Amino acid sequence: MDAVKTKKDNSKMIMMLLKGRTFIVLIVLLIFFSIANPNFLSFSTLTMLAKHVALYGILAIGMTFVIITSGIDLSVGSVVGLAGMIAGGMIQEGVTLTFAGVTLYFSVPVIVLFTLLLGCVIGLINGVIVTKLSVAPFIATLGTMYICRGLASLRSKGATFSNIAGNEALGNVGIKALGSSIAGIPVGAILLLVFAVVGAYLLRNIPFGWHVQAVGGNNRAAKLSGVNVDRITILVYILSGFCAAMVGLINTAQLAAAHPASGDSWEMNAIAATVLGGTSMSGGSGTILGTIVGAFVIGVINDGMTMCGVSEFWQKVIRGLVIILAVIIDQAQRKLEAKMALQVRNETN
Amino acid sequence: MKKIPYRNLMKIASAVLALGVMSACGGSPAPASSAAPAPASSAAPAAPASSAAPASSSEAAPAADSAPLPGGGSNIIYILTPSTSNAFFKTEADTCSAKAVELGYEAKAFSHDDDAASQSDLFDQAIADKAAAIICDNAGADATIEAVQRARDAGIPTFLIDREINQSGVAISQIVANNDQGAAAIAEAWVEAMGEKGKYAELLGLETDTNCHVRSDAFHRVIDQFPDLEMVAQQSANWDQTEGYSKTEAILQQNPEITGIICGNDTMACGAAQACIDAGRDDIKIIGVDGSDDAASYIKKGQMVGTALQQCALISEMAVQQADDYLKNGTTGVDEKQLVDCIAITSANVDKLSAFVYNG
Repeated sequence: MDAVKTKKDNSKMIMMLLKGRTFIVLIVLLIFFSIANPNFLSFSTLTMLAKHVALYGILAIGMTFVIITSGIDLSVGSVVGLAGMIAGGMIQEGVTLTFAGVTLYFSVPVIVLFTLLLGCVIGLINGVIVTKLSVAPFIATLGTMYICRGLASLRSKGATFSNIAGNEALGNVGIKALGSSIAGIPVGAILLLVFAVVGAYLLRNIPFGWHVQAVGGNNRAAKLSGVNVDRITILVYILSGFCAAMVGLINTAQLAAAHPASGDSWEMNAIAATVLGGTSMSGGSGTILGTIVGAFVIGVINDGMTMCGVSEFWQKVIRGLVIILAVIIDQAQRKLEAKMALQVRNETN
Repeated sequence: MKKIPYRNLMKIASAVLALGVMSACGGSPAPASSAAPAPASSAAPAAPASSAAPASSSEAAPAADSAPLPGGGSNIIYILTPSTSNAFFKTEADTCSAKAVELGYEAKAFSHDDDAASQSDLFDQAIADKAAAIICDNAGADATIEAVQRARDAGIPTFLIDREINQSGVAISQIVANNDQGAAAIAEAWVEAMGEKGKYAELLGLETDTNCHVRSDAFHRVIDQFPDLEMVAQQSANWDQTEGYSKTEAILQQNPEITGIICGNDTMACGAAQACIDAGRDDIKIIGVDGSDDAASYIKKGQMVGTALQQCALISEMAVQQADDYLKNGTTGVDEKQLVDCIAITSANVDKLSAFVYNG
């Protein structure tokens, strides 16, 4: 009896370690870089890290919802670029109504809201194509990825909007606030925290989140139990588009410039962070906390190796190895989980 | 058997003549003086080169092994550039189109996104469209040779701008900015701004790109002569503004003592400049290479020391003009490989720079 119990406790212990693996990796990385580099573990480095992580961390929060429904959103990187170009263009050039012959300038809050709304609309389009028109998410968002990138370039005919600061006389200053710091903490990092808290609440505490997990876990069962699968799926893509537009705004504010190629291949970083955080690519399960930890793992690898002067080529190799390793451990965890579930059932019988 | 050495002889002779023309025109001094056997009398052979070449037609054309390429038959000039989401390449495409239209051609501009395969498709498209000539900022020094050869086989002459290919005698002209000279020139201005001492960081471009190394080597050829200038960090930011920004932040964390950052292009330099502004570091001297308007605005505000203008508008115009000359006269009258000097832009002359054109 006792022997069985210890065995069970052991498996529980292993499970706990496995579940917290990304967090353990993060701690190990932090310790490693602190030893390798005495400047690494300081308040200013950590805030910088949070600022860099915010960009793809927020993307990854939206991506987590999408991947839990067993979908994927490849368009987020392009939406980052498009959102930046739209916001930058509205500040720099205003909106010219050719038929009326006037140029309208909007205040920054209006521009921010409009840009976020645009992100939602692109998400809505993604969702409708995936659900109502039954196009595989990979293909649908691949299409919108190209469309958004093209539109971003068309907005300025390929040029960069630089020195985006607004004009006092036109009353559209203030975008820089999104790229600045409050009490030494970057606004991007604060937004990451806000998005993470709201995201975790949505996913765990309200029916919407349970439905998201149900849709990804077993689409048919969810439908039969009365979940409006199409509506949930569309909402998830809208959320992802919203996150991407937010990242576009933060990136533009930080650089004081909008470039049509901004955000190129950032969707890959977002997917990597999500997978590192333990969200299964086949859908059904995942947590926001895991995703944030995953995003920080990638961030620590990037910034830590840059500060240690490791070549860009090695950074890529190591990032790839960490992702593959994470998924291998993820698979091991699932097998162990299945084994334990079987054990429990055998005991109760 | 006899014909081959004769042709080679003609090629060497015409190359020497053309090099003479180049050094007379003030092209890159380095290659001209090392390759031309008689640089002293460069002015003398220059005159016959341009006047005699059309007379002796095909054989004297620098790159042609045989009769000049007639063009595909239509009146269209194809203009192929990397992504137009970069102001530099956009200027190339716009300038080429404008010049081609001015000379009475129809212009069709496309971008190949630095993808050799899609560039190859665009060459096929140009051949099918019976293009008169192709102007190309190519997608790879080796990968492009075959496509240019294909156009050549179809009778269409290709004029390469901005980047060279690793073979001569295939394209009619290869007109490139002298990256080496430009980077060295702006590095000299930077060394002066640094007071010849201090620690600095370098942001490299895409490390698989030849220009990344050409520029970095030129920077260091100048800077490494000063023992009090010490490089403490070197990172690639892949020509990208966001990466330039975040890598600069990371470097400033690790090496707050730096007082200078040298960047392989202006996009990264603008990212670095913005990161320094945000960090409250107005003491850091930053340079880039390209000559973009974005960099110019940072230079005007004193947040960048300078940049090296690659005269891509001038290069583009030269390419279209040479295409026109070649189609009309069977020769461009100049050597295949031509280097166009860069201009060091600092706060002293930044007002003369606009849209990659220097109105000096």
